[in-house]
Parts: sequence; C-alpha cells; structure tokens
Amino acid sequence: MAEVEETFKRIQAHKGVIGVIVVNSEGIPIRSTLDNSTTVQYAGLISQLAAKARSTVRDIDPGNDLTFLRIRSKKHEIMVAPDKEYLLICIQSPHD
Amino acid sequence: MHCQFLSKAQISSKLLSFQGRIQDSKVFVFGIEITEITNNIPNVNNKMFADITLESVTFKSNWKKERSLASSGCQTSELVVEEVACQSVKYKSVKTQTEDDSDKFSGFADDNSGHLFEFLRRVEPAMHKQLEMNVKSHAFDDYEVTWDEGSSTMSSIHKLTNAAHDGQFQITGLSWNSTGAVIAASYGRFDHEDWCTHKTSLCTWNLERRNLDENKPDTVLEVSSCLMCTAFHPSNPALIAGGTYNGVVIVWDLSREDDMVLTSSGIGDDSHREPVSKVIWVPDTSSVKKNKYLLVSVSSDGKMLVWKMDRKTKQIELHDGFVLMNMNLPTQLRKSRTMRGDKEVGVTCISYNNENKDSFIIGSEPGAVFKCSMSANGEQPAGNIISSIQLKSPVTFTYAHHYGPVYSAEFSPFHRNAFLTSSMDQTLRLYSMLQKQPIMTLEPGEGVIYSTKWSFSRPALFAATTDTGLLLLYDLTQNQPVPVYKLEAGGLMGNNARAPVLTCQFNQHQNNLIATGDAMGCIQVFRISDSLKTPLSRDLEILGDLVDITTES
Repeated sequence: MAEVEETFKRIQAHKGVIGVIVVNSEGIPIRSTLDNSTTVQYAGLISQLAAKARSTVRDIDPGNDLTFLRIRSKKHEIMVAPDKEYLLICIQSPHD
Repeated sequence: MHCQFLSKAQISSKLLSFQGRIQDSKVFVFGIEITEITNNIPNVNNKMFADITLESVTFKSNWKKERSLASSGCQTSELVVEEVACQSVKYKSVKTQTEDDSDKFSGFADDNSGHLFEFLRRVEPAMHKQLEMNVKSHAFDDYEVTWDEGSSTMSSIHKLTNAAHDGQFQITGLSWNSTGAVIAASYGRFDHEDWCTHKTSLCTWNLERRNLDENKPDTVLEVSSCLMCTAFHPSNPALIAGGTYNGVVIVWDLSREDDMVLTSSGIGDDSHREPVSKVIWVPDTSSVKKNKYLLVSVSSDGKMLVWKMDRKTKQIELHDGFVLMNMNLPTQLRKSRTMRGDKEVGVTCISYNNENKDSFIIGSEPGAVFKCSMSANGEQPAGNIISSIQLKSPVTFTYAHHYGPVYSAEFSPFHRNAFLTSSMDQTLRLYSMLQKQPIMTLEPGEGVIYSTKWSFSRPALFAATTDTGLLLLYDLTQNQPVPVYKLEAGGLMGNNARAPVLTCQFNQHQNNLIATGDAMGCIQVFRISDSLKTPLSRDLEILGDLVDITTES
C-alpha cells in the first residue's frame, strides 16, 4: 500500500536513521529497509527483548504496560514501539 | 680334596707332620687322624710315629664373597576374566545434505490483515518525537560506560630482536598479518653509500605462541640485500611482500616447506632501479571476484608499479605503472629553472583512500604531496626510462609541500578525506583531500618524524615516531595540539640517547597493540590503555568537524 511506503520513507528520511523494520507478533519481519540478514537478526532479538521488557513492566505493576523501548549503545540507538500485532523497530545513529 | 703323600706306606697311626700341597682352597679341615699304620714293607720297625691330634684350623677366602641364598614364591590374586560378544542385527542408513540457501530468503512474512497502516499511523508520531529528541539531546554527551576491566596503563609487553643480526641492521618496515597474530619486520639500513652488499632477512614472530622467544624469530627469510619495506597480504596470512635496496619486489609464501620465495620482480627494465620505499596491497577494483589484490610498489626512481599476480603461475607481472617527474613538482620545489622536466622524482610513500580505492596520495623526496588516481592518463615525457608498459603521470592535484622528504603518508581509515603526512622537516600535517593547505600542522619538537599512522579503532587517535626515540600518541578530541602520551620506544644507545624509531604499526585486530621498530633492530610491542583504544562516540564527529571545513581561504 502506498501509504505504508510513504510512512516508511518519512521515518527513514529522519536525520541519522539507519534502518526501519516492522515485525509481526511472531517475530517475523514484514517490511524492512535493511538487508535480509541484518533484518532477521534484529527482528528475532528485539522482539524477544520487547516481550521481556513488557513482562517486566507488568510484573512490577499489573496495571501498567510497555509503551516505548529505547536501547542506547555506543554506536546507535534502537527505538522500539510495541503493539498488539506488530512491532516497529527504528535504528538511529545520533551522532552523524 | 687332593693330597699327595710322599710315602706309599699304609699308615695307621696319628699323623704328626704333613708335607704336601693343598690344591683345593675351599674352607676345609685338614689334618688326618690316622689310626693304624700297617707296614707292608717287610722287616721295618716303625717306632718313630706317635699319635697326636691337632686342632682344626679354618680360614676364609679373601677374594670370594659369601653368597647367601634364599628361596621364596608368590602368586597373584585370582584374575577374573569375562567374555562377552554382541552383534547388531538391524541396519539403518541416513544421509543429509545442506541446501545452499544464501540466495533464497524465506524470512519475510506476508501481512494481509490490513492493520499495518493503522498501526503505523498510531506509532509514527511517537517515533518521530523520539528521533527528533535524540538528535538534539546532549544528555549522553560525556557519558561513557566501560565494560571490560582492561588496563589503564601503557606498557611494553614484548621486546623482539633477532640476535643473529647483532644490532647491525635497522628495522625498515613492520607489518601485522591478516589475523593480527604475527608481526613481520624487514631489516636493512638507510645509510648506504653505494651498492648494497648486506645480507639481511625478513623475520616474523608469532606473538600468540606460548614459547615465544623474543630473541629468535619464528621464521627468518634470507635476502641478499637490504630490505626496505614489507607488507603482509590483507586476507591471506601466508603471503608477504617486501621491497629491497636493489629495486626487487619479492613475494614470499610462508605456508611452503622449502623455498618460501613465491615470486620476484627481478632486476630488469620493468622493475625498479632504485631502492623500493614502499610496497602495499590494494584491492583490485577491476576484478569481479572480491578477494583479488594488486601489489603496488613505489621507489626512489620515481616509478609506481602495479603488479598483478597471475593466478596459475603465481608470478607477479607488471600490470600498470606511473612515474613522477620534475615537471609534476610545484614551482617552489624546482631547484632551478633549467632543471630538466623529464627527470624522475623519487617517491617515498603511498597510501590508498579508504573508501575509494582508485585515488591515492604519494609523498616525494623533495617534499611535495600529490593526489593521484589509478585511472589517470597524463602524458609524461619519455625521459630515460625503458619500460614495456607506458608509464603515465598519476597526479591529479598538488598539495602544499613539506620542506623535506615526506617519510610517511596515511589516509584515515574512518574519514574519507583526512590524511596525515610526516616529513624530515620535523612536522606532522593533517590534510583534507579537498584542500591544498593543511588543516593542522603539528611540530612536536622531537626531531625528524619518521612515520605516522592512524589507529584502526579510534578515529581521532594517531601515532608518530621520532628521531629522539619516542612514540607520540595524539588525540584529536583534546583541545591542545600536544601528544597525550609519549612512550619511550627506542633502545638506549651508548651516549645516553635513544635510538630513532623508524616505523610503527597499529594492530588491526587486537586494537590495543602497537608495534615500533627502531634503528638498533629492536621491535617493541606496546599495549595501550583502554581509554585510547575504545572509540568515543564523538570521535568521528570531531574528526569530521576538523576536516570538513569548507573555507574560502
């Protein structure tokens, strides 16, 4: 769908963004702007981490839920927006 | 027992005296008690014999020892033995084969639920906000985390020499191999007057071996003249190239058993006539296969030759060539107006751009620094060079020159435009490829700077070696143009001075190691502290800021 592509392009055009990936609830990537092997790696690892983060938040307070997850590393920052059916992963290099 | 009696008479009385020989020398009792003497001789009256009993005498032999004998028996405990046999009855045979799935990719799922767009619509503003905040945020600017304990000090961990050379030769070149475990050093001298009659060698040490002998190299390759430079192949850990004083380029294959010389350029019209100052392996951009490399050698005769290794014969053949001539020099460097434009100018160093393998820089003996291109096609006057391949002028741009021979030039492995040069005029210069004047000139005041190299792990770190025997480490993130570390890398000479350090090389794989070679033939391997090996997040940014100045001046 064109709107989906446009949204992807908008996010990708942001300053410092290296790649954008959308993953379904099973951890399988649906769309991606990165190459295949990297996409599969990010998809698997990040969906596991997001699930763990979500369970952590809910364990501490069952009325709470995960809204956003950010992982900052030396080289990049990975931003994850979780949802019931999908997961949006965005990798940005803040110093470019 | 053996006794000899003198008389034949049958004596039946006690023996008084005995005259004879005793032939058996075992312990015995001698002395005979004779009870009766009967006289067979007729008519003799033997009244002179009387009966005497003598005590028996014993003595021990003095040369034979007494032997004692004893007899005993033993038996092992009973051994238990069992015998079992078995035999399989059923058979199964299974085969497997992997499928080459590098081309196929089955990871992506199809999404037909139609909810994707709604999800994206919902999530997009939040993502944008975070992305925006991230770029502007200074929250993490000075925030660094150290995960490894690491070392916080710089120390010299190895001091390697070749005892056989006995300090006669200087280290002219150093190279780490493609795995980062082996270091090779070429020995030679820079102060020849005429022909070179030295017999030197190329030595390698494997630093990962437990029984590393610091005074004896693992491999010694004999060369019949001084070696001026050396370079390991970037991907094959067994191939190493070297250039000699006589202009010969040799490639060795360390995996061979006997003669490790794989190929040599020989001394002919096509090869160099003067010492080879640098050899360097360059990826072959024209070849389709990924791992093909060309060998480029530069020399004081002005020629830059590109050698290609034939795949079947494994010999190197001249593939392409360039020559640097007087007419390429900037006007300030031409000594007199009547100097012939077609005289060659010696090239002392060469370095290829990290991103674009077609462009390279060279430093020359008069001090000029040039930007060149592999596909340049400039005409050169014929001059006195005889060569089978047309030697072209590679120069596309001339930078502001040094005031003495440029001893080393190095492109930054991180930034596509930055390069360093060091020269006999005791300065270090940081240039941008796009600008004629250097961005920064550093004068450490430590004499001639023989070599300079960028670190492979930190974009803002570089090292320089000096005539006074020091290894200087510069950090561009510091505000002052002074070295952050000064390491004593040269060996002590007689007059309390340090030997000049002629070359240095960072280890690409173990990025806390740097090796230096000095004029006394001694190699030191230093371990640098973690603060200098791990890149700061702003390193690249700072380097970029420095280099990407677009000024109008």
